[in-house]
Amino acid sequence: MRRNALRDIVAFGMFVLCLQFAGALRAQESRPTLSGTVTGPSGAPIANAKVTAKGVATRQATETQTDSLGHYAFLTLSPGDYEVAVTAEGFNAQSSKVTLASGTPLKSDFGLIAASGAAQAAETTPTKPTAPTLEDLGISPTQAQGTAQDQARLDKRAHMLMMHQRLGLITMVPMIATVFTSFGAGGRSTSTADRWAHMALGSATGDLYFMTAYYAIRAPRIAGTQSKGPIRIHKILAWIHGPGMIATPILGAIAFNQKSKGEHVHGIARAHGPVAIVTAAAFGAALVSVSFKF
Amino acid sequence: MSLRKKLAKQFLAALVLLAVPLFTLADGQWVLQESTLTYHVSHPLKQTDGVSHAAKGKGVCHAGQCDFLIAVPVKSFDSGDSNRDIHMLQVTRGGQFPMITVRTRLPEDASTSATIRADLEVQFAGQAVQYKQIAFQRVVQGGETLITGTIPLTLADFKIEPPSLLAIPVKNEVPVRVESKWRLM
Repeated sequence: MRRNALRDIVAFGMFVLCLQFAGALRAQESRPTLSGTVTGPSGAPIANAKVTAKGVATRQATETQTDSLGHYAFLTLSPGDYEVAVTAEGFNAQSSKVTLASGTPLKSDFGLIAASGAAQAAETTPTKPTAPTLEDLGISPTQAQGTAQDQARLDKRAHMLMMHQRLGLITMVPMIATVFTSFGAGGRSTSTADRWAHMALGSATGDLYFMTAYYAIRAPRIAGTQSKGPIRIHKILAWIHGPGMIATPILGAIAFNQKSKGEHVHGIARAHGPVAIVTAAAFGAALVSVSFKF
Repeated sequence: MSLRKKLAKQFLAALVLLAVPLFTLADGQWVLQESTLTYHVSHPLKQTDGVSHAAKGKGVCHAGQCDFLIAVPVKSFDSGDSNRDIHMLQVTRGGQFPMITVRTRLPEDASTSATIRADLEVQFAGQAVQYKQIAFQRVVQGGETLITGTIPLTLADFKIEPPSLLAIPVKNEVPVRVESKWRLM
């Protein structure tokens, strides 16, 4: 009785073994091939590039290298989904996902691009065989790697806005002085010296103002960013002090001319004072709006 | 060797062969459902927080170990001031290194304890820095696992020059609070 039971167990074990062996044989018979060519940016083949095919389900990795013509081939892979990754010295790594069907050869070519600093940094920590990759998260190599040009653009923007900020602060000095000298230059005052001092300070303010504006206008824009927070107020105020800084000297020149002829300031020139005050106030507010941040 | 022993050995071998696919089936994947990452910058005159909800993450378990990868674009952090955010992007060299990645490997059974201590490898601003034994709290809610904790980042670790306000630089410590919701697939 016990002997019969043992025989049954052994028979079952043998059956399982046979099933697995048969499965393995079947897989061997219909193994698909995966091959392709690895080229550089110019289209030239890359020799000795490392090509790794990692089974998505099994997480098993198989490696090969490209020959002198950039060709590679895997002949012993089982059907299934694979992540094929290519690495070569001096080039950014590239990978793609392929599905191998039983008995069907598949071709997957790779065009590598030259490595940037970002690629070198990413290579400092190699991923573990089972570890998920950025591509597993749906992040493409172009999203993961920036460029030195992008960084240079940010650096240029930061430098220009720092200049904009400093010049803006410097502009405030002659602007305040211009406002103070206006009391002696305008109204019933007939002092020529005060008028000239006011005009000179106003001119200096205008020159500095337009230099300040240049650095803001010419600072590179960063794609995909929207103005948010105090910078919005800063930009809105520019629509007040910008036209104001054009109108103020024009109106001032007319008023200067009228006063120099011994006339009272009249007509449109009477707006010089109010326009200048609004302009100076908007400029001061714009400066304050972005001053207390880092 | 008796026939009985021989048969028993063959039976054991058959069982082992059967068990291999079963272990493979036990492997799982953790997927990050949603997250909030918040950095905190301190200055004697001002405190600022930047928040991102754009992190993506995955954990792959195999042979009793789970490898996790979390990635978040530097650009996705929002402090409420776009000018400051672009400045942060510049000082952290986000043009050249647009992603922050965090990698960790945990034993599979770590996902059952209330506090997880993880060794993290953070890649940011072109530097890779290891943070050892960082504590994260784990709470299970429904089918999801909430992981919260703080990564004690410093600007010096990543060779980032601290930005200044009125010639006073911000503090070197920029802790990043992590609140994440994971699901085992």
